[in-house]
Amino acid sequence: MRESTIMKIHYGTALAAVVLVAVHVLFRITMMNYEDSLAYESVIANYKYVPYAIMLELILVLLSVHGFNGLRVILLELKQGRSYEKAVTYGCIAGMVGLVAFGSRTILMASMGMT
Amino acid sequence: MKRNENKEGIKGMANPTRYGIERFAYWLMRITGLGLLAYLIGHVYETSNIVNGKTAWENMLSMTQTTEGHIFLTLVIGMCVFHTANGIRVMLGHGGYGVGKPARPDYPYTPASQNKMHKLCIYASIGLAALAMMYGVSVLLGE
Repeated sequence: MRESTIMKIHYGTALAAVVLVAVHVLFRITMMNYEDSLAYESVIANYKYVPYAIMLELILVLLSVHGFNGLRVILLELKQGRSYEKAVTYGCIAGMVGLVAFGSRTILMASMGMT
Repeated sequence: MKRNENKEGIKGMANPTRYGIERFAYWLMRITGLGLLAYLIGHVYETSNIVNGKTAWENMLSMTQTTEGHIFLTLVIGMCVFHTANGIRVMLGHGGYGVGKPARPDYPYTPASQNKMHKLCIYASIGLAALAMMYGVSVLLGE
């Protein structure tokens, strides 16, 4: 993929994540007080509310793509070389996929009541 | 000259001085980005405890919802706000906004892109992050 396309994805995921993370944070502090919003029953109720669970999944994907691509950019600024660049790119993709898979497992299990 | 003689590597990247506020913003953008990625991974792991039942969730909360945990969260808020505000500045700069018009390079060769507006935006990003951290402290530690 062209680097210019990757940067467009990087900026697109950043803008989308800013909006969704703002909603996520506002949910924690406006619906009830911060401490109560972390109560087990309250968190499970959040996961069982399907639009919210979908939003969490979107945040997870957007931030994983943005975060691991950012890490890739930092590592490529440090050092260059064909095999190094390949290792960094594939390593970051693996990290991204791993984090999305692990986070999705939590969202799915909690929203389906498998706790 | 050897190929690696003029390369400082991580040491060079970790040095925020020498090139003004733009260099400091570059450094802070990378530090906050790495910090936020580490927080994201930790947060995904932390919240995965919910699937192990109420006791596991409450045990995890007793470890993270402490004064130290709240101070750490306040730092995360600051990192997040700076990274967002400065990121929008960088995006606009990459899109060609606020970088000045192309002109003949004359002495003292001041780069048009490193202008007062961008410097002001960097200071504003730091200021916004500080304000957000103060609000975070009032919510997390205020009670």
